[in-house]
Amino acid sequence: MYDFVRGPLLWVAFIVFFGGLVFQIFQFFAVTKKKDPVFLPAGGKGLEKPSTESTAQVFEFLRGTIFGTHPVMTLVTFLFHICLFVAPLFLLAHSILFYESWNVSTWTFSESTTNILTLIFLACCAFFLLRRLFIRKVRAITTAYDYLVLAITIAPFLSGYMAYHQWFDYKTVLIAHILAGEVMLIVIPFTKLGHMLFFFLYRFLIGSEYSFGQGTRTW
Amino acid sequence: MTEKEKKPVDTGQIRRLLDAKKGKMKRLLSHCAHCSICAESCFLYMSHDGDPQYMPSYKVINSLGRLYRKKGKVDRDFLEGIKSIVWRNCVLCRRCYCPIGIDIPSMIAFTRSICRSQGVYPLFDETTAKESWL
Repeated sequence: MYDFVRGPLLWVAFIVFFGGLVFQIFQFFAVTKKKDPVFLPAGGKGLEKPSTESTAQVFEFLRGTIFGTHPVMTLVTFLFHICLFVAPLFLLAHSILFYESWNVSTWTFSESTTNILTLIFLACCAFFLLRRLFIRKVRAITTAYDYLVLAITIAPFLSGYMAYHQWFDYKTVLIAHILAGEVMLIVIPFTKLGHMLFFFLYRFLIGSEYSFGQGTRTW
Repeated sequence: MTEKEKKPVDTGQIRRLLDAKKGKMKRLLSHCAHCSICAESCFLYMSHDGDPQYMPSYKVINSLGRLYRKKGKVDRDFLEGIKSIVWRNCVLCRRCYCPIGIDIPSMIAFTRSICRSQGVYPLFDETTAKESWL
């Protein structure tokens, strides 16, 4: 079982993940086209930052962003997304696997650091879950699908944490951890987790008032 | 009852309209993370004491989202139901902010076009309108 989930199934997950992302990028370019920008606010964008600024100016700038409206949610979501990428990519155990499989040596954090990052990640997930359960505006648009996707996101990290601390039967937990990671990779291009890719396409390439930089594509 | 209200809904036409823009609209609908961060950017949400039905994401999910889920197979009552969402609960001021970059106003505008294609739209002239919009 372990050989199967670490071998062929992992390749399936990688191919579906990367293939899916490439497919989505091609689809995106097929349904959008380049046009002259329509929205050109006079005097540049309102939230443009000066090149040199004091801490007070930085806070003044942030007050006009979603950080001003949702400070806690913004901080939690930043931490969540940073840990989501940093914890697995710079994990020592994963680095050893990279080295064993492809002879590639990658930079890693210490195990205790990754342990803390995982705990932060899980705390952020708990925050999202509680938000979904108890805040009226979030609950109003929450369906079983949202809980399922949250569970798919949490599973690899929770099982990884359990495997590292050798809770329960190590071998079973490890297989569950690999499977959970593969499920997450497979669903990313085809579910709302696709915002991992589409966040950049929507906010950088599509021209709109809120786009970062000069998006010139349109639907 | 006017002639238009008696006429059955042309589900084929709705389906064609939905299909013509599905590349954009279904993608945007599927990438909504249901995070509700857009809520406070809507002045109607703020002025209704945080009533979730005025939240931009709630409005698109329950209008255009339902149209796609039903693949356009809807009746006049359904369209009358979403009429109040896309005309009364949203004024298309384009102030809604989505952190992922989902173009919510274009989705509401598209839903209005679909409703209009079936003769479902508000009549603001009090002498002809049967319902009050205030």
